[in-house]
Amino acid sequence: MIYKGILNGCSTDIATQAGELNNFISDNLHSEDTVGSTILFYSEKEQRDALIRLVPTESVKLVRITRYQPENILKALTTMEQGEMTHLYLFPSGFAGSEMAVRLAFRMKGSSLVQVKQIEYSGVQLIASKTVYANHVLGTFKLTKKPYCVSLAKGSANDQAINTRDKLIVTEYDMTHLHENQFIKASKAIPRKQASNLTNTRFLLIGGNGMKNKADTQYLKQIADTIGADFGVSRPVAMSGWTSLHRQVGVSGSMTKAAVCIVAGASGAAAFYAGIEKSKFIVAINTDSRAPINKTSDVAIIDDYKAVLDELVKVMREDRPI
Amino acid sequence: MNILVCFIAAPDLDKLIEEDWVIDKDLQIDTSFLKPTLNSYDESAIEIALRLSDASQKTKVSINHKALTIASTPATTILKTLNALRFKQVVRIDSQDDFRFRPGAIAYILSQYVLKHATQDVLFLGRQSTVGENAKTHLLVAERLGWPCITQVSGIEVIDENHLVVTSQVDDGQIRQKIQTPCVLCIGEVPNTFMRVPTIKDRMLYGKRPIEILSTTDFQLPDETEELLDLKVISHERHGIFIEGETPEQKARELYKMYLKERLEKI
Repeated sequence: MIYKGILNGCSTDIATQAGELNNFISDNLHSEDTVGSTILFYSEKEQRDALIRLVPTESVKLVRITRYQPENILKALTTMEQGEMTHLYLFPSGFAGSEMAVRLAFRMKGSSLVQVKQIEYSGVQLIASKTVYANHVLGTFKLTKKPYCVSLAKGSANDQAINTRDKLIVTEYDMTHLHENQFIKASKAIPRKQASNLTNTRFLLIGGNGMKNKADTQYLKQIADTIGADFGVSRPVAMSGWTSLHRQVGVSGSMTKAAVCIVAGASGAAAFYAGIEKSKFIVAINTDSRAPINKTSDVAIIDDYKAVLDELVKVMREDRPI
Repeated sequence: MNILVCFIAAPDLDKLIEEDWVIDKDLQIDTSFLKPTLNSYDESAIEIALRLSDASQKTKVSINHKALTIASTPATTILKTLNALRFKQVVRIDSQDDFRFRPGAIAYILSQYVLKHATQDVLFLGRQSTVGENAKTHLLVAERLGWPCITQVSGIEVIDENHLVVTSQVDDGQIRQKIQTPCVLCIGEVPNTFMRVPTIKDRMLYGKRPIEILSTTDFQLPDETEELLDLKVISHERHGIFIEGETPEQKARELYKMYLKERLEKI
């Protein structure tokens, strides 16, 4: 099988993208007859060398563009890859990756699947699995038309180091001549003010639907600050606008892997749980003894979360000044 | 400006208990006893379209908003609500087919509807359905129509009959773009866009307006390039030990002493 990983070096999350590809390749594409390379899009010349070091394969095609714009990337990919015998294109889990996987497959008359956890290639078809039914069910799908274009499931990056090796740069392409798509009349990028710090946090306190207003959210944030935890929220809380979106945990937000994760006032919907399932130890505090989170946590307390957390702050203060 | 909001009515899966998650031989999960609801992306898409219509006096751009779904009869309740919310037209493409994992077929129907039945300037679609989680329909509609598509849209302003300013999330922040129609906009995470509730008066006045009904048999569907082979319920179970105590204070102390102290010392 011939596969190509596609990386967007114009985005500041490039290290996460590379980590995801690296992890997926080592888990799924290790047979002897598998040959892989990477296509890396970038815009800043001075970042070129640093970006090459992130590439998870031995060979790489570097494509310089003015800025990331989906239509231009698609145009570049379809031009470069015309006549190539690539079986599989792998895209990272971000917004850009899923968009590219679907649109590239359509234009190349192939098949696509997004948020893929695992693949298996039989020689004539690709079998891929992903979660469906709001993370309650694992679906297995057959992709019938080559090339197969898949984007990876969110949270599949791990801390596995990328082997640094002398990269063999196959080709450098300059595609800075590609013009902006004409439907865009003006554009302005607004970089994220506050980088999400939840993905790699070790200690996390999360508030769910039990928080009834903004004051509850602020209370819980204060508790998190006091006990030295990072603060996250479930989707309904984020959608109520009581805190910024970057604190959202779950399939639509951060996928965390804390050593200790305390979940207060959340029922534990499967789409939310996906964001904490890699935690080493999960504590649930809520008033509903039948809430799904109780079974999917290591320990659970059925009680008012405010009373429990207030006392937890006290006991932690007694034990060690915080 | 003609805006078509495409949505899907789906069961609220959080209402299912553990015992309900049974997959039958046809790879179906019985959710027939659950009331169809809108997912949050579709709710946001509907509310944003209504707000653009509200603002039309200020922008001097008339908004002709239409809502469309592909569904069987139970979605009628939602369609009546959309009528009451004063959508100019509400359309149901009737189908008993299993479209859970057929985004290609849905995209084909939507694009054919736009090309053959009603010219549109902008299509709004939610990011993904809760059941299929395909996250492909908006992209495939755009590809079939040959229109540009902006994903993860979080804000839309109407500038004039042919231009919008669209804010969308990208992987490292946001981007604000002035764009020309036609286009497909995929609505992502938009706080404070819960769908409004119609007044009783509007329900009485507008709720029973006729719903345009077409059938999927009016459309010749393409073959899918992806096929569902299997479904397996995922178990997330852990120890689930309940910490007992007379008071919340006792439970908190037990939690810290028995389970947290040592773990937190290692962090």
